[in-house]
Amino acid sequence: MLEVRDLHSYYGDAHVLHGTSLEVSPGEIVALLGRNGMGKTTLIRSIMGLTPPTVRSGEVKWKGETITGLKPHEIASKKIAIVPQGRRLFSSLTVTEHLTMLKSPRVKEGWTIERVFDAFKRLGERRNHRGNQLSGGERGMLAVARALMQDPELILMDEPSEGLAPVMVQRLEEVIIDLGKTGLGILLVEQNLYSALDAASRVYIMETGKVVHSGTTAALKADMSTVERWLGVHGG
Amino acid sequence: MNLFQVLNGVTFAALLFIVASGFTLIFGLLRIVNLAHGALYLLGGYFGYSIASWSGSFAIGIAGAMAGIAIFGLLLEGGLLRFVRGHELRQVLLTVGVAFVINDMALVVWGGDSFTVPIPDFLMGAVQIGPVFYPKYRVFVFGAGVLVFVLLWLLMNKTRLGVMIRAGVDDAEMVEACGINIRKIYLWTFLLGAALAGLGGVIGGAFLSLYPSADAEILVFSLAVVIIGGRGSLPGAAIGALLVGLLNSIGQVMFPELAYFVIFGPMAALLAFRPLGLFGKTA
Ligand SMILES: Nc1ncnc2c1ncn2[C@@H]1O[C@H](COP(=O)(O)OP(=O)(O)OP(=O)(O)O)[C@@H](O)[C@H]1O
Ligand SMILES: [Mg+2]
Repeated sequence: MLEVRDLHSYYGDAHVLHGTSLEVSPGEIVALLGRNGMGKTTLIRSIMGLTPPTVRSGEVKWKGETITGLKPHEIASKKIAIVPQGRRLFSSLTVTEHLTMLKSPRVKEGWTIERVFDAFKRLGERRNHRGNQLSGGERGMLAVARALMQDPELILMDEPSEGLAPVMVQRLEEVIIDLGKTGLGILLVEQNLYSALDAASRVYIMETGKVVHSGTTAALKADMSTVERWLGVHGG
Repeated sequence: MNLFQVLNGVTFAALLFIVASGFTLIFGLLRIVNLAHGALYLLGGYFGYSIASWSGSFAIGIAGAMAGIAIFGLLLEGGLLRFVRGHELRQVLLTVGVAFVINDMALVVWGGDSFTVPIPDFLMGAVQIGPVFYPKYRVFVFGAGVLVFVLLWLLMNKTRLGVMIRAGVDDAEMVEACGINIRKIYLWTFLLGAALAGLGGVIGGAFLSLYPSADAEILVFSLAVVIIGGRGSLPGAAIGALLVGLLNSIGQVMFPELAYFVIFGPMAALLAFRPLGLFGKTA
């Protein structure tokens, strides 16, 4: 469904993605791992059409159609949503406004504000709070809920559990697994190996702008030397 | 300072709010310091003067000026500014250039005389407010300022377009990544801001009169209002307008030689403590 082929992305003259390729099938949760600064966020932004970076060669295909070069809103309207690194909530909007901005409350198809508040009870209780008045966990939930309001078929999640307390990481992981069961595709960027391995069925590992390992989660769990080599604190 | 002068300050503040609200919306969302905003005000005033004189109706003058300046704003944003998006210096220079062009064109069409937009009979004369008789038209200006504030507040808080504009002030890239065409939001905001400048021109042109350098004066005041209130904030613009309006009255009455200093001195002091203005937020 999503195919990234030999992508080369640059910040000015800095060459950051060196021919990255990966795939996500419908309804699949795929983890994208890698140490700090290896190009995970750059890849997510390149897929979403956000600039910088600029994509100089390679392509992103979505359902067989090339979407490289489209504007972010055009890509989003093809049902690809993003939970960006750092969440990027709108600090002057209330929880409710984050959701109604994307879909009129009169529309009763797909994800509605009622359905979101049903799935995330805490957000319902905080509906009149502004983005900057929420706790870390609530912010993470709202960032996911905002993506859901676009009724996506694929969500690009960039470290959704970053900075969260362990119980919230756990809760978010359950949410992601549940969403996966509804047939939603998820490309999940994580630094936390274990929360990624619980949710995903396949894994890619990135190292300086290239995919250096790909395989099933089960295979990676059995192969700690690969984990140590690409993700271990001591490096390769 | 007597009541009359305070009322003058408050009614001038209402006009400043009308002009500066459009300025701050454009500054907040598009990150453009539109230095042609004063020229749009003046052009709106001339439009209003001509249309109201020709039709004999102040209301038609207002409607015509707002529509005309809105279209002008649309051409300016869609035809020029979008090519320099993200380049701050180029935007500033472009808007200065547009201001000069508008000014010269206005000089060709309306000449160098000063004009006053004709007002309807029922707004002429004075009403008694406490111990003073106060011009009815200035009371109307105050009402117009309050009405504009209420309508803008409703737009920004109760409509989806307004919520999108506020979200765009916070993080325009993220609005786009959520599937909203931010270009359209930019256009609507610019159009709205320009229409407000046009409205200000007609309303102000009926009591401050219109002449070739009136645009620079209103621009300087609007800049002070927006800087004091904080980029993109409507309540900030309202409070900033009140402060500038009242300080302007105090300056004119008590320190006529230092009138500008009375406004910009306190502004500089405020910025030393709150560099982003009263309601400003970091980008
Ligand atoms: N806006 C930018 N301009 C220039 N270089 C950048 C920019 N953003 C990122 N980089 C560089 O690109 C490289 C990849 O960064 P990226 O943010 O994609 O890494 P990441 O894998 O997401 O890291 P993290 O796990 O810390 O989020 C890094 O060397 C970084 O310094
Ligand atoms: Mg990152």
